[in-house]
Amino acid sequence: MNQLTPAGKTIRANILNASHLSGHGHIPTSFSVVEMLCAVYETIRHDPANPAWEDRDIFILSKGHAALGFYCVLAHYGYFPIEKVATLGGFMSAFGCHPDRFKVPGVEVSTGSLGHGIGVAVGMALAFRLAHSPRQVYTLIGDGESNEGTVWEALMIANNLKLENLTVLYDNNQSQVRSLQIPNPAQRLEAFGCEVISVDGHDLPAIKAALAQPHARPKAVVCQTIKGYGSQTLASNIFEWHRKSPNPAQLEALRSELDAERI
Amino acid sequence: MRKEFKNTVLDLAARDPSVVVILGDISHYLFNDFQERFPDRFYNMGICENGLISVAAGLSAQGFHPFVHTIAPFISERSLEQIKLDMCYNEFGGNILSCGSSFDYAWDGATHHCYTDLAILRLLPGMQVIQPGSVKELETLIRSQYNNGKPTYFKMSDNPHTVALPAIEFGKGIVLKDNAARVTVMTAGPILGNVNAACDGLDVNLVYFHTIKPIDTEVIERFRDTKILVVHDSFGLQEAICSVTGLSVAYHGLPDQFCVWYGTVHDIRKMIGLDVPSIRAVVSRLVESAA
Repeated sequence: MNQLTPAGKTIRANILNASHLSGHGHIPTSFSVVEMLCAVYETIRHDPANPAWEDRDIFILSKGHAALGFYCVLAHYGYFPIEKVATLGGFMSAFGCHPDRFKVPGVEVSTGSLGHGIGVAVGMALAFRLAHSPRQVYTLIGDGESNEGTVWEALMIANNLKLENLTVLYDNNQSQVRSLQIPNPAQRLEAFGCEVISVDGHDLPAIKAALAQPHARPKAVVCQTIKGYGSQTLASNIFEWHRKSPNPAQLEALRSELDAERI
Repeated sequence: MRKEFKNTVLDLAARDPSVVVILGDISHYLFNDFQERFPDRFYNMGICENGLISVAAGLSAQGFHPFVHTIAPFISERSLEQIKLDMCYNEFGGNILSCGSSFDYAWDGATHHCYTDLAILRLLPGMQVIQPGSVKELETLIRSQYNNGKPTYFKMSDNPHTVALPAIEFGKGIVLKDNAARVTVMTAGPILGNVNAACDGLDVNLVYFHTIKPIDTEVIERFRDTKILVVHDSFGLQEAICSVTGLSVAYHGLPDQFCVWYGTVHDIRKMIGLDVPSIRAVVSRLVESAA
């Protein structure tokens, strides 16, 4: 693992802190998507001051359990103050462990049950085509999520319609090594009709370059990621830390790992 | 009824550019003229019901009014979670029109029967559930509800009733007979044909519903002090009526088993006691016991 960027480090520190304060959140999966989400928000047309801007592009976090990472990235790009995220999962908090579009600015679709967001994304992309709109649709799915057949239904529909305004980011963080792994997702996505680009999912410039590539069919950006990236402890114990929050001592230890020269 | 569906949507599409049709590889030939006139708004999307609902939700999110159409058990029971989350929870509306009803595909066996669609969908917050029994009901209710932004389910049938109805209004039950009788028969959808014939000459009140959700509680309250017999070839109506507390309600309809016989809808109805003589016998017994 290479050194984190300052933004990558700050966002991960915020993830740890919010999880510590709230006792909630899926930290390893949130760590794996940070650079992917940053690449999205540094690519799409959006306005944090006006989340409902009618010409905005759409991003849908289909793997909704990475909500904590999503919130910290949205806060980083100015959608709301980061302090609010520490209420995560609390009664009357706007910030659930899965995102709610009615409560959190920047959340376009409420997700949580896996395999749903990508299908809605396909419908939105079709809507923009019908409306002759230049708006683009991006969605982030996980490799675990891709155990769900609905992911592949959505991809078949999207590719049959040749939706050139749809981009799927695939978080290949090896979350299913103990269950139903999907070997060679790039090959599979290509077989389902996508234009596929494979990148290091923690290399922000590489992901942005992939997102900028023009495409005539739905594009899949397969991001090779590490669950828990940024912390050796998390990356080495992904199942133990799947849905666990750090105590004060653990928080300090994990934060110090973020500051390491090489992580 | 499917032809009326197509004609109605074709007419709406000519007036409203936000109308989009999504088929699950059913009724394709029926929609040939729609496809010719509006090729950009016609999609025979595939045999992937979960995907059809999610795509419809996405279209709805961006201002379109989708009509999703395929066979009842596949679009309702199979796709329950997509309807629940992508449509209801996210408040992305859309119209779901199923064919096959409970037993229209009797010859295809229990895999193609649909017993629970009305019952499970009425439990979803924000959902509207309609079982039109005639083509006039279907047309009227599609026109009044298709663009209200809410997820709306229409359980269509190829065996509509031919009973003349007064004005059809979404959410309103219809009192077909009020004899100030001690027994009130309540029913919904195409089975009204059998129920109406079965009740002919009997001392009963007869109430008909085309809208299962929202159920017309006002008309139910009107018959609160009578013994209510729900006669229905589906689950859902009885439960909706029983949402009004303190009623005396009996149900005559589907058994707690798969209907494993082939034949026609009429054969199945006879087998489970929903033909005219069987219904009449059940109603008559209740009338006698209530006397």
